[in-house]
Amino acid sequence: MTITKEINIFEKVNKEEVYKKLVEIFGKENVSSKSVDLYPYSYDMTECAPNMPDFIVIPENKEQLVELVKYCNENIIPIVPYISGNNVGGLTIPERGGIIVDFGKKMNKILYINENMMYALLEPGVTFGQLKKHLDENYPHLRYNYPFAPPYAGVVGNAILSGMNNLSCKIGSMGDSINGLEVITVDGDITRIGSCFYGKDEADPDSWWSRYPMPDLMGLFVNWQGMTGLITKCAVQLWPKKSIRKFEALVIFNLEDVGEICREIGRTEVIDDIALGSIEIVKMCCGIPEPKRFPEEPRMMSISTITAHTENQYKAKKEIYLNIIEKIKQEGIRVYSIDFDEFVKLFNLRLRSLVDLPAMVLSLFEYSGLTWFGSYAPSHKIEELSKKVDKLFKKYNIPLYLYMKSMKYSHYSIFRPIIRFDKFKDEERIHKLLEEITDTCLELGCIPYKTPAWMTEKMRNQINPGWLNLFEKIKKCMDPNGIFNPGRWNT
Amino acid sequence: MVEVDKTLMGKEYLEMAFERCIKCSTCKYGYKTFEPSCPSGEKFLFESFWASGKIRTIRGVLNGDLEWSDDLKDAIFACPTCGACMDACQAPHADYIVDMIEALRELAVKHIGPAQNQEKLIERAIKKFNPYDEPNSDNEELKKKYNLPDKAEWVYFIGCTSNYRQQSLRDATLNFLKRANINFTLIDEHCCTSPMIRTGQISISKEFMNYNIEKIKETGAVKVITSCAGCYRTFKNDFKKFGVDYDFKLYHTCELLKELIEKGRLKFKSNYNKTVTYHDPCHLGRHSGIYEIPRDVYKQIPGIDFVEMRRNRNHAWCCGAGGGVKIGYPDWSIEISQERLEEAKETGASIVSSTCPFCRTNLSDANEKFKMGFEILDLIEIIDQLEWTLKF
Repeated sequence: MTITKEINIFEKVNKEEVYKKLVEIFGKENVSSKSVDLYPYSYDMTECAPNMPDFIVIPENKEQLVELVKYCNENIIPIVPYISGNNVGGLTIPERGGIIVDFGKKMNKILYINENMMYALLEPGVTFGQLKKHLDENYPHLRYNYPFAPPYAGVVGNAILSGMNNLSCKIGSMGDSINGLEVITVDGDITRIGSCFYGKDEADPDSWWSRYPMPDLMGLFVNWQGMTGLITKCAVQLWPKKSIRKFEALVIFNLEDVGEICREIGRTEVIDDIALGSIEIVKMCCGIPEPKRFPEEPRMMSISTITAHTENQYKAKKEIYLNIIEKIKQEGIRVYSIDFDEFVKLFNLRLRSLVDLPAMVLSLFEYSGLTWFGSYAPSHKIEELSKKVDKLFKKYNIPLYLYMKSMKYSHYSIFRPIIRFDKFKDEERIHKLLEEITDTCLELGCIPYKTPAWMTEKMRNQINPGWLNLFEKIKKCMDPNGIFNPGRWNT
Repeated sequence: MVEVDKTLMGKEYLEMAFERCIKCSTCKYGYKTFEPSCPSGEKFLFESFWASGKIRTIRGVLNGDLEWSDDLKDAIFACPTCGACMDACQAPHADYIVDMIEALRELAVKHIGPAQNQEKLIERAIKKFNPYDEPNSDNEELKKKYNLPDKAEWVYFIGCTSNYRQQSLRDATLNFLKRANINFTLIDEHCCTSPMIRTGQISISKEFMNYNIEKIKETGAVKVITSCAGCYRTFKNDFKKFGVDYDFKLYHTCELLKELIEKGRLKFKSNYNKTVTYHDPCHLGRHSGIYEIPRDVYKQIPGIDFVEMRRNRNHAWCCGAGGGVKIGYPDWSIEISQERLEEAKETGASIVSSTCPFCRTNLSDANEKFKMGFEILDLIEIIDQLEWTLKF
């Protein structure tokens, strides 16, 4: 696990003075240094090492944050952004202490929906559940792309960390659908990135329609885990909601066939999303907490989403989908199509949570801990990855929890072994397993996302020096005093 | 894993805090409605005030990461234990979240005491058998007034709030039972101890429970009815936890009303031409699973225009009185009710009705303080205003 550096962050100014300043900026009721209030922010669901923050602040507007950033930069006090703390990577654990900026409580407004160019302008604290409710009630013809995550995960956090979603086969990661950002950089300047960059005053809400074609400064913030500035607004693309949305399920009997099936279905260009999960996940969702594997039973199940404007369009898409399944079968691959709706009715209606996102997927929330190796993976390595990771789960006597996706019509894949565990009994053992999974997957070229610091440490050994030098130079330039979420990516 | 003091009533729930909850935040809002549902979190905002934060506080105090001090009190006691978090959470521990909070309070009381003024609840109950500091009523006068026998088939367990603060509700219940020719009596009650259990002050609970059971037994009653959702929840759920058994059948007034209507025995003879909305008491709804029974009764009242609030049934916003909040955080308690009444305003109702004297108290206080202009009535008070007959 990551060993945090012991540093005194109150060298330049004492803690009492910092508290006074924070109260001055945010108001007394929005600042806390009580241990009971700090404690829930000191660790997350993963096995990442805990650390207490010194303060929590709840901002209401960017002006407060400009003042905070200037003050913290002057006095070298860490700032850690927080939305709901639901990430599976220790990303909001304040490794060097400092101030947690909790965006989730007041900076959580949906500022604007542009129906014409289909985007939503959001404050950082907006959650998936909140956005879905807002769209369903006010813009029922529009939808967002939701992840396999609880309803109260943050939309902006997921987008700027390139999370998955239920349109991934079509559009790729959430990071690909960001139109624009408003950020506060270390000197307290407010910067707008994307097509909203024109104008000296506040941006016109109708101006957040594209990320390109100017130099792409968004790359200075996307996937940086809050290390380069504070994001205060984000515009994300919305999508037309089609009237027909159906699910096709497949059971797959051999793990080594999963890669090909995933790639072939993805390439048909007729599905919005394909998610593949080990059969153990399906059993867990049916209410079996620790499922056993039986000989001859299928190994994986896939669920593909087909959407259409008309019945004819749906039929055409389904025909293409079924043709590819037939072709796969003819190659001798053992798969069976099943009617997902009937399957759900037969086994457990809660299985609907796998497709009716955002939802709480029961299997993920069984215990007190959850961790993963969430990664972007080269599609041609899926077979090898699956087999090796399966062996590791077996070695540790843990039911296989493997989740995959085909991204952007199979240009690449998502490969996610997930581990549910008892945080207070089994943390050390689980960490060992996750380390072994990490080593195996890094060796096969996977790139983890929402990465904890102990994992980036391993990655650094494999990344080329040129990339690392540039990365360090940019970080130094963007945050010379290292106040923004220090410790991430071992900075 | 830490060792939990075996003498604690809530030991198993404290242990559960280590086994469950990844803090996914699903407890924060109504599941799939995505509506705010937690009065405590919505008010105080920091994670420690939401259900998952309280579970972390349990872990922190037990594993030594958090030291006991008065600083912990608000995060532990500023919560009406309405159970909206239980309904929202989808994890296996969902049904036990309020039990976990109450167990944390039991532990906190041992180390730092309850929140300000909550200690009065138990001090008063020890002296006067009720938490309102009122001279104990042995209910003999009421028995005389209503000509009630010593032995009867039913006992009407009035409850402290109805007996000392909401007497119109009590009297409406007495009138109804009398007019319905129910063979009932009253006992010299001790508090059911709901307010003490909710605030972690449980030292007298078992003794009071046993006392009440003995008194009920003396009457020979086989059925007990109460008009208080808090007493009902305590008899139904908490007695068992304290190892106190009983063999009578427990009714809330709405259950008897529904039964009489369903059997065709209760026939309304007059109209109630008003628009009424129903506030689900947490103790009857989320804690006891009774949502439709009162609604079925309202809907049978001739002339009534029954309308629902946006957040209803398991998603209902709490009135803010429970969990010791009314005495511990009185101003905030009324703010919570104010939010409920604002929601009632959207329905166009002139009557906000409930089936709990404690909800009635707090909604009435907010109604008065913020000049909301509603009439706040219990279901049984509405019934009492009507003409009806009972077929035998």
